[in-house]
Amino acid sequence: MSAPVLALETSCDDTCAAVVGPGGEIRSNVVSSQGIHDRYGGVVPEIAARAHLELINPAIDDALRRAGITFDDLGAVAVTQGPGLVGALLVGVATAKAIVAARGLPLIAVDHLQAHVSANFAAPAPFEPPFVCLIASGGHSFLARVDERSGFEVLGATLDDAAGEAFDKGARMLGLPFPGGPHLERLAREGDPTAFTFPRGDGVPGLDCSFAGVKTSLLYAIRDLGPQETERRRADLAASYQEAIVDALAQRAARALEITGLGRLAIGGGVAANGPLRARIAALGAEVHIPPMELCTDNAAMVGLAALDTAAVDRSSALALDAYATGERDL
Amino acid sequence: MSLVLAFDTATAATVVGLRDATGVVRGRRDDPAAGERPSHASTLLALADELLVEAGAQWGDVTRIGVGVGPGTFTGLRIGVASARGLAQASGAPLVPVSTLEALAHAARAAGAHGAEQVLAVIDARRGEAFAAVWDAAGEQLAQPVAVAPEALAGLVPNGSGTIVAVGDGAVRFRAPLEAAGLLVPGDADPLHRVDPAALCALAAAGAVVAAENLVPDYLRLPDAELARRLADHQ
Ligand SMILES: [Zn+2]
Repeated sequence: MSAPVLALETSCDDTCAAVVGPGGEIRSNVVSSQGIHDRYGGVVPEIAARAHLELINPAIDDALRRAGITFDDLGAVAVTQGPGLVGALLVGVATAKAIVAARGLPLIAVDHLQAHVSANFAAPAPFEPPFVCLIASGGHSFLARVDERSGFEVLGATLDDAAGEAFDKGARMLGLPFPGGPHLERLAREGDPTAFTFPRGDGVPGLDCSFAGVKTSLLYAIRDLGPQETERRRADLAASYQEAIVDALAQRAARALEITGLGRLAIGGGVAANGPLRARIAALGAEVHIPPMELCTDNAAMVGLAALDTAAVDRSSALALDAYATGERDL
Repeated sequence: MSLVLAFDTATAATVVGLRDATGVVRGRRDDPAAGERPSHASTLLALADELLVEAGAQWGDVTRIGVGVGPGTFTGLRIGVASARGLAQASGAPLVPVSTLEALAHAARAAGAHGAEQVLAVIDARRGEAFAAVWDAAGEQLAQPVAVAPEALAGLVPNGSGTIVAVGDGAVRFRAPLEAAGLLVPGDADPLHRVDPAALCALAAAGAVVAAENLVPDYLRLPDAELARRLADHQ
């Protein structure tokens, strides 16, 4: 491919469009955060889908303008096909197919999880395989072995909640606004991470993890402490809760490095912003790569990067492309 | 070449029409079998592409795009509207919203509407409700689209002396209360109950153009989460 790719991503609650050059250079990366889900305490699929429809075309205009190009300059259109909220995904898929039809361009269907892995390949300093990749966000938590630019082998994944989801739910129990991760981290700074001992999902075999136990333990702790004592010890609860999640992730990342013998680790997803997690990962002694945060949270540039290593959909079936809600395994 | 491409995904069917400069309309539709899910996402643009090939034309020949904005199923509507917005954005072709209920009423009028004076267009809104609106024989809208219980459908029609015909998948679904109220409901298999490609094209050709980024579905209903939130705020 010698011309830039327009990439779209609408799998959850961010409406994203980006332009990525053939060498992996990110020429624009537009994220329209819907900012309307806070009042519902979480992402509402129908509301997300409605917002995507209203925001997607302006986001595309913006992405093209910032890249200094027009539709005439494009070599392909890439779009997240799944997994994600299907109603939300369909807005991106329908939009991408319409552009492809109108412009006679190739369509590249991208897996959202592959896109998170491919975020590491941004120019000018791509982090090349092989490496172990930890993706932790509000929607997914998994560890993968990445041997090539396209494809990855899942080493372990959450059996229940995603790590970011666990952060958000814990934050909610502590009365913090949605999305709770950053709020919880801030509150935790004033607390003692050893004040309470919450489970790390140690009983889960292999490199899988579980965050249901830590969530339940926080719920019980709050109940046992009562409202007044909970209020007084909120920071300790937040710090201990965060510590349990971070410890679970870091332990498994360390084990993955050991098992694979790879001394290189990349992390992605919104939880990559978490300070204590970064500190723990840095202490593992591996060569660590963390893409800029705007490439860790959901964005379309990572979709464009993945598209560079993905074959276009066969021309005869491109216009029939459908979205998928879940992948082979819930990650 | 100057072509009007119009499509609708508000009902379970995927309906596409292509009208050339001489007024000839080619149509394609996909009606899922009973119990099957709609195939809007996989069929809409593929059917449109087939029509263009059949007409010896290309996507660049489309000079106007019409899209059914409902009311209807939310996901279906979004697939249609997102496709239309994307086509318009990438091609620069003007974009026209078409009321799916009006397309039903328009087709019924064009077909003589069983001699009816008024047409009640009804779309099944699920959850035991219907989306409906009323037009007279001259194409004048007599009642705005609303979501109502089936028993309230007949009450939407202003008092008059002539025959009133009810069309659409909602008219089939709620045949009993409609007939009990004295409305004429054509047989279940009557084409008047299905969104018609020619009607979509006619309304698209005559309708007012809107900017792509301002074109949204006529949902007629708030999302459940928003209804719940408003309810909670009231208590
Ligand atoms: Zn994601």
